[in-house]
Amino acid sequence: MLAAVRSATVFGVEGRPVIVEVHVSTGLPGFLIVGLPDEACRESRDRVRAAFLTTGLGWPSCKIIVNLAPSSQRKGGSGLDLAIAVALLAANGQVPVEQLEGFGFIAELGLDGSLRAVSGIAPMVAAMPDITCVVATASFREAQGVSGDRVRIAGTLREVVDALNAEAPWPRPPDGEFVDDEPPPLDLADVRGQAAARLGLEVSAAGGHHLLLVGPPGSGKTMLAQRIPGLLPPLTPEVSLEATMVHSAAGVRLPFGGMVRRAPFRAPHHSSSMVALVGGGSVALRPGEISLAHGGVLFLDELGEFGPVVLDGMRQPLEEGVIRLARARASAALPAKFLLVAATNPCPCGGGPPGACECDEVARLRYLRRLSGPLLDRFDLRVGVAKPDVEDLLASGGGEPTAVVSARVAAARAIGMARAGTLNANIPPDRLDELAPLHPAARARLRTELERDLLTGRGYHRIRRVARTIADLQGSEELVLDEHVVMALSLRVRLSVSSRERVA
Amino acid sequence: MNVHRLSALLRHHEPEEAWAVVLGQQPAFGLIAQVLAANAPVRASWQRCATERPPARIWQQCLDLGLQVLVMGHPRYPAGLLDDRLPPPVLFARGDLALLEGRRVGIVGTRNATVGGRATARLLGNGLAAAGVHVLSGLARGIDGYAHRGVLAAHIDQPDNDRAGRPIGIVASGHDVIYPREHADLWAAVGERGLLLSESPPGTPPEPHRFPLRNRIVAALSEVVVVVESRERGGSLITASEAIDRSVPVMAVPGPVDRRSAAGTNRLICDGAAPVLGVDDVLIALSYQNGRSAVMAADLRPRPRGGDLAIYRVIAEDARTIDGVALALGLSLVDAAMGLARLEASGWVAQADGWFERTGSPLR
Repeated sequence: MLAAVRSATVFGVEGRPVIVEVHVSTGLPGFLIVGLPDEACRESRDRVRAAFLTTGLGWPSCKIIVNLAPSSQRKGGSGLDLAIAVALLAANGQVPVEQLEGFGFIAELGLDGSLRAVSGIAPMVAAMPDITCVVATASFREAQGVSGDRVRIAGTLREVVDALNAEAPWPRPPDGEFVDDEPPPLDLADVRGQAAARLGLEVSAAGGHHLLLVGPPGSGKTMLAQRIPGLLPPLTPEVSLEATMVHSAAGVRLPFGGMVRRAPFRAPHHSSSMVALVGGGSVALRPGEISLAHGGVLFLDELGEFGPVVLDGMRQPLEEGVIRLARARASAALPAKFLLVAATNPCPCGGGPPGACECDEVARLRYLRRLSGPLLDRFDLRVGVAKPDVEDLLASGGGEPTAVVSARVAAARAIGMARAGTLNANIPPDRLDELAPLHPAARARLRTELERDLLTGRGYHRIRRVARTIADLQGSEELVLDEHVVMALSLRVRLSVSSRERVA
Repeated sequence: MNVHRLSALLRHHEPEEAWAVVLGQQPAFGLIAQVLAANAPVRASWQRCATERPPARIWQQCLDLGLQVLVMGHPRYPAGLLDDRLPPPVLFARGDLALLEGRRVGIVGTRNATVGGRATARLLGNGLAAAGVHVLSGLARGIDGYAHRGVLAAHIDQPDNDRAGRPIGIVASGHDVIYPREHADLWAAVGERGLLLSESPPGTPPEPHRFPLRNRIVAALSEVVVVVESRERGGSLITASEAIDRSVPVMAVPGPVDRRSAAGTNRLICDGAAPVLGVDDVLIALSYQNGRSAVMAADLRPRPRGGDLAIYRVIAEDARTIDGVALALGLSLVDAAMGLARLEASGWVAQADGWFERTGSPLR
């Protein structure tokens, strides 16, 4: 007897439909899974058998062959457990085959017959758009965001069997928790002083400019960075869906409602490996931190401590907004469009005001050289963060709250998008004159900076884009004025490594 | 070979004879004989050195590099070193030895200079060169390098002034072992326009023990030693104490008392070194002038006015960030940035790592 049941696996951030075929025949009792299963998938037979026995379902003492089609594709994970179990029940005549029409099954089985959540529910459900998916109760939130009402949940294998046999209705989805359980974003009002750094955050959020915070330990770099997501507008439906897929595929908990709607904030530790950061792995190509930050902020604290190879690996996604991973058997493109925010000390000892640094110049050069080059070039903003002034710390009032600043950010983003169709950070150099025309005084200032070798050609374009954003924030929609250029220049501190003088 | 032993050897033997002694082909005299008799490892290491680095090869390297080799007693051996406590037995020189007969000031200081310290070193080097004084330094990173850059800039600024002072670099490694490597262009420029001296033969690496020895030559050849920036300890203080031992006047540039970069120099002043507030002070010490010049060299920078002047005063007091300036004066960020940009463009302040510092001679 034969039965086929629909399910799916996840690859990268995409769901791939899988048909689980079970054939039960006379012969020496045995249970075989074919169709390129990975280890977790092959172990499924032990879980399914135990679940059958504890649930009180009869186990056929026959020859059982499970085929996972298409059989040329590798399948990973434990999400096929439920589909295998249901197909086996159907093949064995314990569930009517015609009842399976229009259903897909994605869940892991526990030995006690319970259904467990697996990662990647959202893309897998999305890969079966025409049918109703049965998932574990714990996966409801993830499935609901992309599927709406074509999802059924169950807590145990018994509940699934009873529902399919029409002996009981499908369990009702959990309700009553219609509260947004995400903590509110951190508020800028908590930051005392730091006027320049605050402006840096605002400009970064408004123009999509990558931001490097330079300052000694304890100056509040991390505190500042954590407040950027609150300044970013909610994700567009399209980006929200992409981000949801990534979070689901990586097994990161989704907020209530099953969709990632707020800008994510990811802060991987500097010991993170290449695969952890950009994604990868042998079977499923799990998304990395840069994909999890899609639509939001990737914060790299202690930038210089990250492995040079790891940082290098981020250059292509930074450029393209997508990371293309290729392995011998497969390749995948994962979304990775994020705002890069990094923090670094100016030198190994942490620095501080001039003269406080205790490092010798070689150590200092070596430290900064690790940052320099291609990656350092991508930061439009390099903001110096000093330890806050005592007066500021003691002052009673905080600065502007996030609500006020994010409103300005949203307005500036709208202006920029309407003008160029893209955020200011992505304006191509050849359109700068058209989209960011300079006031004569501003032009003269940039010319002097170039002549004095304080600005490189690439830096010049970056300054113009940042100045455009500052002008947008201040409501100067046409011309970019001198004061905007000056502010842009102040938000790009010179690292002392770059101020080495040439012999006359 | 240790400088003391080499000196002793050359005091008792002619160079060729000394060579034979080192190789063990000839008996030694006096103290050297005692050392060799009592100390087998010394004997062995001398012999090893001698076989590893035959004089013919070193000589060839000197010819290739265009070096003059000055053994003590050579007619061109610097007279100033002859009666020193520990004269270098051999000197390898590139450039114009006659410079050692001119007026000479040593400028030394920390390798981790602040922006302000670098600017001061540059300013002093430049001013002394313009007054016709040669500047000695160690070609190290930081203050040393900037002093010589200032000297070289004086040649660029006044191409017709052939009386401008020249750079004299005293280095610790061999002439072909450039250290630090990023000073390659500076080495070349000093050798070309001034004089480059080393006690070590070509091929000698920059071993740590050679730097204090190098410092004694800087002290011995200077008429005045100026320490620009120094921490509580450091090579420049070794130069200063070598200078004091030789009765060479030591001067120091004062700095804020709470600044680590000024700890060494302030201590020197406390101990009696004359403070340097400008090029004039050094020239007075050289008896070039007997009073501050009535007419200051014209400061070509446009004098800051109004708000900019207030910003300048705040920064002259202490280095500040843009936030610090805005806070101190109650300015908006934009106004502070505009003012700082004007001051920076006209050369009154400089910025590094987000901190603004006063630069150049102070506003009077």
